[in-house]
Amino acid sequence: MSAKHRGPKAFVIDKRHAAAAIEFTADQPSRELTVTPPAPLPRSRTMRWGMILVTALFGLVTMWAGLAVTQLIENFFARSQALGWAALAIAGLAGFAALAIAVREIWGLMRLKRIEHLQADAARAINHDDAAAAGNTVAALRHLYRGRHDMAWGLTSLGRHDADIIDPRDRVRLAERHLLLPLDAEAHRIVARAARRVTLLTAMTPAAALDLVFVAVLNLRMLRQLAGLYGGRPSTLATLKLARMVVGHLAVTGGLALSDSLIQHLVGKGLVGRLSARFGEGAVNGILTSRIGLAARDVCRPVPQEASAKESLGSLLRELVTLNEGTGPDGREGQSQS
Amino acid sequence: MTLDGIIDASRTAAGGLKDFATGLVHPTLRLGVTGLSRAGKTVFITALLHALLNGGRLPLFEAKASGRVTRAYLEPQPDDDLPRFAFEDHLAALTAPDRHWPESTSRISQLRLTLEYSPRGFIARHLHGGVLHIDIVDYPGEWLLDLPLMRMNYAEWSAAAVAASREAPRAALAEDWHVHLSGLDPMARSDEPAAMRAAQAFTAYLARCRKDDVSLSTLPPGRFLMPGDLGGSPLLTFAPLDVAKATEFPAGSLGRLMARRYDSYVVKVVKPFFFGHFARLDRQIVLVDALTALNAGPAAVADLKLALSQILACFRQGSNSIVSGLFGRRIDRILFAATKADLLHHASHDRLEAILRLIVAEAAARAEYSGARIDVAALAAIRATREANVHQKGGDLACIAGIPEAGEAVGATHFDGATEAAIFPGELPEKPQAALDGSLAGALKFVAFRPPQPTHGVFPHIRLDRAIEFLLGDRLA
Repeated sequence: MSAKHRGPKAFVIDKRHAAAAIEFTADQPSRELTVTPPAPLPRSRTMRWGMILVTALFGLVTMWAGLAVTQLIENFFARSQALGWAALAIAGLAGFAALAIAVREIWGLMRLKRIEHLQADAARAINHDDAAAAGNTVAALRHLYRGRHDMAWGLTSLGRHDADIIDPRDRVRLAERHLLLPLDAEAHRIVARAARRVTLLTAMTPAAALDLVFVAVLNLRMLRQLAGLYGGRPSTLATLKLARMVVGHLAVTGGLALSDSLIQHLVGKGLVGRLSARFGEGAVNGILTSRIGLAARDVCRPVPQEASAKESLGSLLRELVTLNEGTGPDGREGQSQS
Repeated sequence: MTLDGIIDASRTAAGGLKDFATGLVHPTLRLGVTGLSRAGKTVFITALLHALLNGGRLPLFEAKASGRVTRAYLEPQPDDDLPRFAFEDHLAALTAPDRHWPESTSRISQLRLTLEYSPRGFIARHLHGGVLHIDIVDYPGEWLLDLPLMRMNYAEWSAAAVAASREAPRAALAEDWHVHLSGLDPMARSDEPAAMRAAQAFTAYLARCRKDDVSLSTLPPGRFLMPGDLGGSPLLTFAPLDVAKATEFPAGSLGRLMARRYDSYVVKVVKPFFFGHFARLDRQIVLVDALTALNAGPAAVADLKLALSQILACFRQGSNSIVSGLFGRRIDRILFAATKADLLHHASHDRLEAILRLIVAEAAARAEYSGARIDVAALAAIRATREANVHQKGGDLACIAGIPEAGEAVGATHFDGATEAAIFPGELPEKPQAALDGSLAGALKFVAFRPPQPTHGVFPHIRLDRAIEFLLGDRLA
């Protein structure tokens, strides 16, 4: 008998001291949909002196700006009545625009929040066949897409089934198919386009530092497009928050995990890399962009998706390598042409 | 394994080999529509065909909703020795000016529906170009009751039948037959007129048990109630005798005559029916009319439960592999459907499904254990009612509205078959066990409604699309 023989053993779980050695596996069935919670934003543990400093400085600058503008207008009034009024009107316009921007930013953040709630509701309806959650989900989806002319067809065809007796789970799936499936195809195109652009631009930019900027700009643009597509109506702050959420999502789902390194190795250093080192780097950046795009789609899509992200990544990569324009998800369009 | 068992197994295997060979060229799906009499098999088949042929509203049947089903049409069925399912006649009955539900089925019939679709997969698209034949068989539900007889001999069946007839709800109905039975001596010399009288008395007892007020289900042999083309044949001239399980009958005795006829009934009637139509099913939908049983009381529900678990034990269920595909496919998906769900407000459908789960618990557990996928749904292939809310003192009542058939009654209200009425059928119990323990007495009353007028050429339905998706969806991928 070897020394490794393991006998029976019991571990008493004491509620008072959390046993660090026992890790419970989540008892979530694998078929359940999960909404990845947005990554918690980092918080500083110390007193927020920095925050107070920034706020105080911001307040000072605002006061200074207010004073300067008031003085400016007063000066104009001193010089000529007409000039004074004109300056006041221009200042009023600027103030109004600033207010509008602030409202839009807040509105954008609220819409993003609404999509998060919607995702949770939809997952609940699908996992637990919950009638109330399904009703909320479908109503919220309707509200979200009410004003969009490209959704009119989907909304009308969904409306035809309102009076039918359908189980909650199926009702959400039905709404998903009528409203989100066309958007998914468009999202796929957006991600593929961005990935392709990143690949080409990286391959062609002369300076290494420049492509960093390109990748960042193109990715942010892709985020905005995706969010806009699914109804997020992104503003600046919302886009930044979205970017953080996407990065968080990638971290939680292990999207940037090392499993990719194999593909990267193959594509980046392998065949394509042999042809051209720059093009290999471009391909790696393209894959990264596809990854980010898929994560962004997961974050923005109001109903969580069952289809595996791996599958979509595969089809995106194929497109990236073949650089074939106009292929839809699953490569359906491309194949039907053949 | 007995000789009989080996013969039966090779019958299944031979059929399976044939199916496998034809399936390579013409992918075929044999859909088993299983259900006792009046469970709604004919209506289900008619509604299914009508919806697929005439572009019915099937939002949850993905292949149809996404436009991948390009064409659906009826074809001559593959078996030339079977009559065709009278789809047009049944449809005419449902849509005629004096529309009524199709007459109860008295013989077996078959139909082949062909769907042309564009497959998603690359291989499927190039191998058989997206054609699926769906073979559906319609038959009198009574005949299903015969399937458990394949596993019993005459003495066992006799003892079981007589014992059952002496228990509570049946004893009162069986009085006449019991009187007749006590005058029969199994060991006496065989005598044809005596056998005929015994069969008549037994048939009368079975027919009495089936009436609406008791609605019992476990009433074999099925051909006694629905003889088909065997009426008056010696095959049907036998009846149970009051004997013990392991009785041996001397040559020339009445018992021996009965036993011989029972055996030929099993061999010449039951087995050809089973092996011809049920041994090689791919998918099965089990239609259960739980509401009629609930109407009649706990004894009827318990009897339905017993009948279904005995019948479903005869089917081959389980997941398929390449090898099992060669030697007779198994049923890999079973949908248990509580039919006539339109007699209830949709808020009660979950409770109806819970009761159905209880009724088919044994069968479902066996199927799941063997690897088949099961689902339970409250279904109305043709929805005859609308939903309504009746405002009254003490809160609203969730009702269903439609035209009840002539002769139906709720309390003191009698219906003439022409006026529309909103009906509250009572509340289904929260705990399904209540359906079996008798605490529901008089609390429920489901009435039959006349078929609806089709709107824009299609029938309304409840969850028919979900059923189709479950049964066919993956074969159209």
